[in-house]
Amino acid sequence: MQAWLIELWAAPAALGFALLFNVPPRALLACGVLAIAGHAARKLAMDFGGADIVFGTLIAALLIGFAAEWWGRRQRDVPLMYAISAAIPMIPGTFMYKAVQGLLGIAKLQANAAGEAILVSAGVNIVKASMIVLALAFGIAAPHLLWPKHQHH
Amino acid sequence: METVKTLPELPLTEVLDLALQAGLLVHLSGGDTARAASTMHRSALALGAVRADTVVSSLNIGLTIERGTERETAFRRAPHVGANFTNLSDIERCLEALEDGQLSADAFREGLAAIARHKPHYPRWLMAILIGVSCGAFAALFGGDAGAVLITTLGAGLGVAVRFVLLARGFKPVLFAIAASFVALLVVGLLQRFTATPDAALAASVLFLIPGVPLINGASDMLVANYLNGMVRLTMSAMIVLGIAIGVSVALRFLS
Repeated sequence: MQAWLIELWAAPAALGFALLFNVPPRALLACGVLAIAGHAARKLAMDFGGADIVFGTLIAALLIGFAAEWWGRRQRDVPLMYAISAAIPMIPGTFMYKAVQGLLGIAKLQANAAGEAILVSAGVNIVKASMIVLALAFGIAAPHLLWPKHQHH
Repeated sequence: METVKTLPELPLTEVLDLALQAGLLVHLSGGDTARAASTMHRSALALGAVRADTVVSSLNIGLTIERGTERETAFRRAPHVGANFTNLSDIERCLEALEDGQLSADAFREGLAAIARHKPHYPRWLMAILIGVSCGAFAALFGGDAGAVLITTLGAGLGVAVRFVLLARGFKPVLFAIAASFVALLVVGLLQRFTATPDAALAASVLFLIPGVPLINGASDMLVANYLNGMVRLTMSAMIVLGIAIGVSVALRFLS
């Protein structure tokens, strides 16, 4: 139960950024709810569905993408507003800067020391972060990608 | 379409001006490439152009419109700035009203001007505090305890303040990312004895800088085949991430 309560932190994580993106006050509640739903959906897929983090993110992002499209149309708002705010807690920021920070460690290597370990660990982090970002973008853009001729707002 | 014919015909230069203004507002509010292009296209047609061709790059937008034998072209400089979803929503509503014939061209012009004058909903200090809280929430999501949440909130809030100050003075993304991540990580590092999970706090403290909107917009530009703009946005994000990594590395050397 404790582990699931932690998912509620996805809402404040998303809302700070929603303020930065000047999301109107009327939309903040929906952004927070969608952020929790997305983050919990990923945990659900990973804990019970046996998904890895990339596939879990894809499932969560699809949920966010379609829910945002539906809610955005209903409220006559831009769906991207809900989708991006809700996706923020799943952006793999830590993987990204740890990878680059690891690469900067090459500067400290002695003249002839081998740096393979640094490259491998940074490479793994970068590839993982890229796959997660791509999964997020695919889920959010899915309504446009799957129905290209449909009138989207 | 027929409703447009009943209106007095607008000079083509004015159509061009209004459509470009709408596209420029979308671009400056962080809309993706497809949205900026379709906003210009739709407003030009709604205002009486017969054909409209758009160019949207990361720094410029352009539009050529035609009606009969007349043709007009113009470009505007459109630097990329942060996302503003209130503006995006309001422009869309204005445009839909124009297309439905509820707005005249003059009312549309005034609507756009009013949107351009909008002040942000939230004051800077409130944003700094709440983005700090966001980073605290990230620390909790990473398994941090209450102490980690508190010191991350403090460090990230100060980092956001540094970022706002440097951004206002015109510093480039790499530089404000270095300075802000340095301040945030140093503050959290100096206070790490208040938490049993310092790693969660340190990792979460710089996440306010991660460029979420350009990353997602960039990746989605790539997926919908706007390769050039996708690369520009992803490169911009990569430079900010590089800045974060430099700031973090320098701060960690001070701490150890």
